[in-house]
Amino acid sequence: MPHQCTNCGQVFDDGSKEMLSGCPDCGGNKFQFHASTEDVPAEPEPSAEPPDPPTPDSSVARTVGNAAATVRDLVGSSGSQSAGAPDDDPSSRDPAPADSIPSEPAPAPDRTPADAPASREDAAQADARSEVVNPDEIPAGSDSPTGTETPATDDTTATENVESDATGPSATPDPAGDAGGRVASEPSEDRPDLSELREELNDQFESIKVLSPGQYELNLMELYDREEYIIALQEDGRYTIQVPENWHD
Amino acid sequence: MGLITDIRDSISSLFSAQDPKRIGIYGPPNAGKTTLANRIARDWTGDAIGPESHIPHETRRARRKENVEIERNGKSVTIDVVDTPGVTTKVDYTEFLEHDMEKDDAVRRSREATEGVAEAMHWLREDVDGVLYVLDSTEDPFTQVNTMLVGIIESQDLPVLILANKTDLEDSNVRRIENAFPQHETLPLSALEGDNMDEVYDKIAEYFG
Repeated sequence: MPHQCTNCGQVFDDGSKEMLSGCPDCGGNKFQFHASTEDVPAEPEPSAEPPDPPTPDSSVARTVGNAAATVRDLVGSSGSQSAGAPDDDPSSRDPAPADSIPSEPAPAPDRTPADAPASREDAAQADARSEVVNPDEIPAGSDSPTGTETPATDDTTATENVESDATGPSATPDPAGDAGGRVASEPSEDRPDLSELREELNDQFESIKVLSPGQYELNLMELYDREEYIIALQEDGRYTIQVPENWHD
Repeated sequence: MGLITDIRDSISSLFSAQDPKRIGIYGPPNAGKTTLANRIARDWTGDAIGPESHIPHETRRARRKENVEIERNGKSVTIDVVDTPGVTTKVDYTEFLEHDMEKDDAVRRSREATEGVAEAMHWLREDVDGVLYVLDSTEDPFTQVNTMLVGIIESQDLPVLILANKTDLEDSNVRRIENAFPQHETLPLSALEGDNMDEVYDKIAEYFG
């Protein structure tokens, strides 16, 4: 299941890390993914490309990526855009940014070395593995390339990785499973979960956000604006409020 | 609140025809609010209001000293001084760990501090007639908290004095605070040393009398 550089035609095995910083031969950063080895043409033929020509598709991927980023920004700043959450479904379920999924039968993303640090790429590969590749297909040695690239080379992580593979794609909605499968190298901001998004949206209307016991963020305007006031925070994150007298009527 | 207000009103009416103004001492944590409150209370009543500390969020409940009678130029002005918890947008218990505090204590302090901010904001909404806004003059005054609180105070049309505290420290920069809030009068002082308190009392009498 190789990737082929659309510029010079060099072929890379799935999961090979040489291509992560661009094609080592020509520096090209667009790759065509081929479902099986037989399909690889000797030369890249942009005019006779199979169903998905790179340019439109990667621009779609870019658009989705941009949309996700926009929603993230909206959620991060204003928060009144609750309609943004459903729109974000597809990209937020994608365990990696939409423009970096090498497992789709489409040209692999258009990426520049500058904004593609190795740790991110690495995570994308780990995703590809946990989502698409059947555990049976993984050759015995396939853990080692991943292992050598990531700082997390200990046995525990490797085991978690395999377990996550075994549970298959159905495990992806579970954030804990995700974290295990992703070798903990991906910054969490890169992939807003639906649940995370929802939580953030809810938080926009909260006057006190409980990050963890003992860690709080306060929305001063909300605290000032509300008639009732908080008289006790509970350890489990709930709080008791005193309501104005006229609420009792 | 209503009951307390009623009681307060009935008690204070025994002493003066006019209700004393409730003056809230506001500001970020560790600006010296309690030190100032204690200075005012000690100077005019002999009592203190609350414990002072270098560790932020020492004051986690609003404390009030009633009927503080300040004499200026032959006249007397009576105020209730309300010392409020420092207002902040983030409370993190790990900050307290640096002060040799056990984790459990730090987490509890953090929770109480958060409740204190909520209480301070609530007081600001309903229960103060004027504000002494205390800033540490060694710190940058351009913060979200300061901008927001001063904005709220202005929107309430509350009389406010900006106090540039800690002038006894070398890094003190009163000018920076004056520039940050040019629309208000800024007074330099050291609540700890008692420096410039006469002018502060003059202005309190002028603003809140």
